[in-house]
Amino acid sequence: MESLSLLMEGFAGALTPMNLLWVVLGCLLGTAVGVMPGLGSSMAVALLLPMTFALEPTAAFIMFAGVYFGGLFGDSTMAILMNTPGQASAIASTFEGHRMAKDGRAPQALATAAIGAFLGGFCAAVVVVFLAPGLADFAAGFGAAEYFALALFAFVATSSIVGDSVAKGLAALVIGLGLATIGMDGISATERSTLGIPELFDGISIVTVTVAVLALGEVFHIASRVRRDPKTVAMKTSGRAWLSRAEFREAGPAWARGTAIGLPFGIIPVGGSEVPTFMAYDLERRIDRRRPRPMFGKGAIRGLAAPEAAGNATTGTAMGALLALGLPVSATAAIMLAAFQQYGLQPGPLLFDRAPDLVWSLLASFFVALVVLLIINLPFAQLWAKLLLIPAPYLYAGITVFCGLGVYALSAAQFDLYLLLLIGLVGFLLRRYDIPLAPLMIGMVLGPLAESSLREALLSSNGDYSVLVSSWIAWLLYGILAVVLVVTVRTKLRGRRATDV
Amino acid sequence: MTDVGFWHGRSGLAVPALLAAFVTYLLVGVLTMEVPEGTDFPGPRFFPIILITAGYLLAALLVLHYLRHPEPVEVGEGEGRWRTFTDWRAVAWCVGGFLVFALTIELLGWIIAAAVLFWCVARGIGSARPLFDASLALLVSSVIYLAFAQGLGLNLPAGFLGGM
Repeated sequence: MESLSLLMEGFAGALTPMNLLWVVLGCLLGTAVGVMPGLGSSMAVALLLPMTFALEPTAAFIMFAGVYFGGLFGDSTMAILMNTPGQASAIASTFEGHRMAKDGRAPQALATAAIGAFLGGFCAAVVVVFLAPGLADFAAGFGAAEYFALALFAFVATSSIVGDSVAKGLAALVIGLGLATIGMDGISATERSTLGIPELFDGISIVTVTVAVLALGEVFHIASRVRRDPKTVAMKTSGRAWLSRAEFREAGPAWARGTAIGLPFGIIPVGGSEVPTFMAYDLERRIDRRRPRPMFGKGAIRGLAAPEAAGNATTGTAMGALLALGLPVSATAAIMLAAFQQYGLQPGPLLFDRAPDLVWSLLASFFVALVVLLIINLPFAQLWAKLLLIPAPYLYAGITVFCGLGVYALSAAQFDLYLLLLIGLVGFLLRRYDIPLAPLMIGMVLGPLAESSLREALLSSNGDYSVLVSSWIAWLLYGILAVVLVVTVRTKLRGRRATDV
Repeated sequence: MTDVGFWHGRSGLAVPALLAAFVTYLLVGVLTMEVPEGTDFPGPRFFPIILITAGYLLAALLVLHYLRHPEPVEVGEGEGRWRTFTDWRAVAWCVGGFLVFALTIELLGWIIAAAVLFWCVARGIGSARPLFDASLALLVSSVIYLAFAQGLGLNLPAGFLGGM
């Protein structure tokens, strides 16, 4: 029960007026960005990353947590009302959710989504509070070989599972890892690929890459299509977002099943909550087919409840994996890891010992953020849709100005702006050809750790490669990786045969 | 459909080209690297060499992929009215605006450079009111300057306006 008392101290830290303000601000901002069609929480976190250096770490991460969860809430609102998911994790919610809205049950759909997201996130936060310290203790025994296995696990899983082609994901990963090698080598102090440019000696700033790939490249991508893609219109809704007792009974088991599916995926790096949301949706559809009157395709409340709960459950436990292992499973988590590193903190087992105030305040703020989000989303979902009245040219012009502001304010160097533009164009090109961007971000963030642990392991063994598989923890990680890969390949093959959505 | 050339739907070859170019840059870096004497294996070249090998291999695989599966050519339903998938004019406004911003920020100062950037992106994305945009752009950049440079103390250049 030590966790509980630590959590209470965390609440004391999170509930100070200033920190409460940051949570609410983060939630409002995250929901607002999530509501914007095509924008997701990763862009919000990317734009915020440079701004947070004016804040102290605890305040910054509390705000990040609000933005992260808020983005998911806002995203599903728009997935339901407009059929425009901002991130892949909201796609599964559009099928039945948008159908419900079309049938005039938009308030019920919004309530189902908000409550499902709340329940999933809440359960995940409870799991994290009790399991994360244990996980951190377990990870405290990791040596260089184990850390390399962990990084390799993240690389292979994220780049091969998300997206339609393994080669595309791995290509993005190689670009990310390559960008991370530019600059001074930490072990031998050798200059690498700097072309003698002094600004590159310290390496390419992760902030520049993040803003370039996830915000500026995204604006270019939107500019390239905004006048050509068909316009989407939000549905008008009326009535209060709430559920009747029968609807509660209908959605209840689906919320529970969705949460159960979503929880473990926070620790398995499969690129965020896309996979678990689809698995939860698929399970509900299969259960539905056995019922006397199948509801799927006609706006089934369960088909919305399960993926919503699964998505937020995954996001919640993903934060636990990030804190306890230093393992980012999605682009947004990778940015948060980068933010930790900017403050000189390394997430992982040592974080719980060195910065317990920060960790427990952050965990407590998850609960606060979820409650705040439920309050600002359940009754006011309709109000958020009003944000769509901002004309697109000014919205994206403003975002671009913020990209420039963030990067220039950090370094006050014009060189970083050129680099931002160059990498932004790379991001645009990758986005245009459906290359997933999460592997690039994870490669950039975890690249230095992977390289230094690989080289340290080999240095200590005098170049004997068997050191990489000499411990049972490394075997365990490679084993899980193999299982994950086999399961994905099987699902992909099966998905090719049966497409009946 | 008969006049469709070889390159139609195969513009995706730009991705392996980019990857190969980047990996070649890393290769040049490895070849010109000055490694200190007595560095034990694995040295600073070790990791980039793995990446370079993997990068060339993946580039080859992607070339194969795009040769065998060109993107479907979209026809009809209003989509065929454009010659390219990408609206290059809009992208050029945004990229050009950012380039001007990056080149002139220290000369013109934040307020004017950021206003130019705002104006260019707004125009690229489809705003048709240049005068209103210009005043809005100046308003936005001035508010940001006041809030971040004066308020939070961020380091934003005043440019030649600062001397007045």
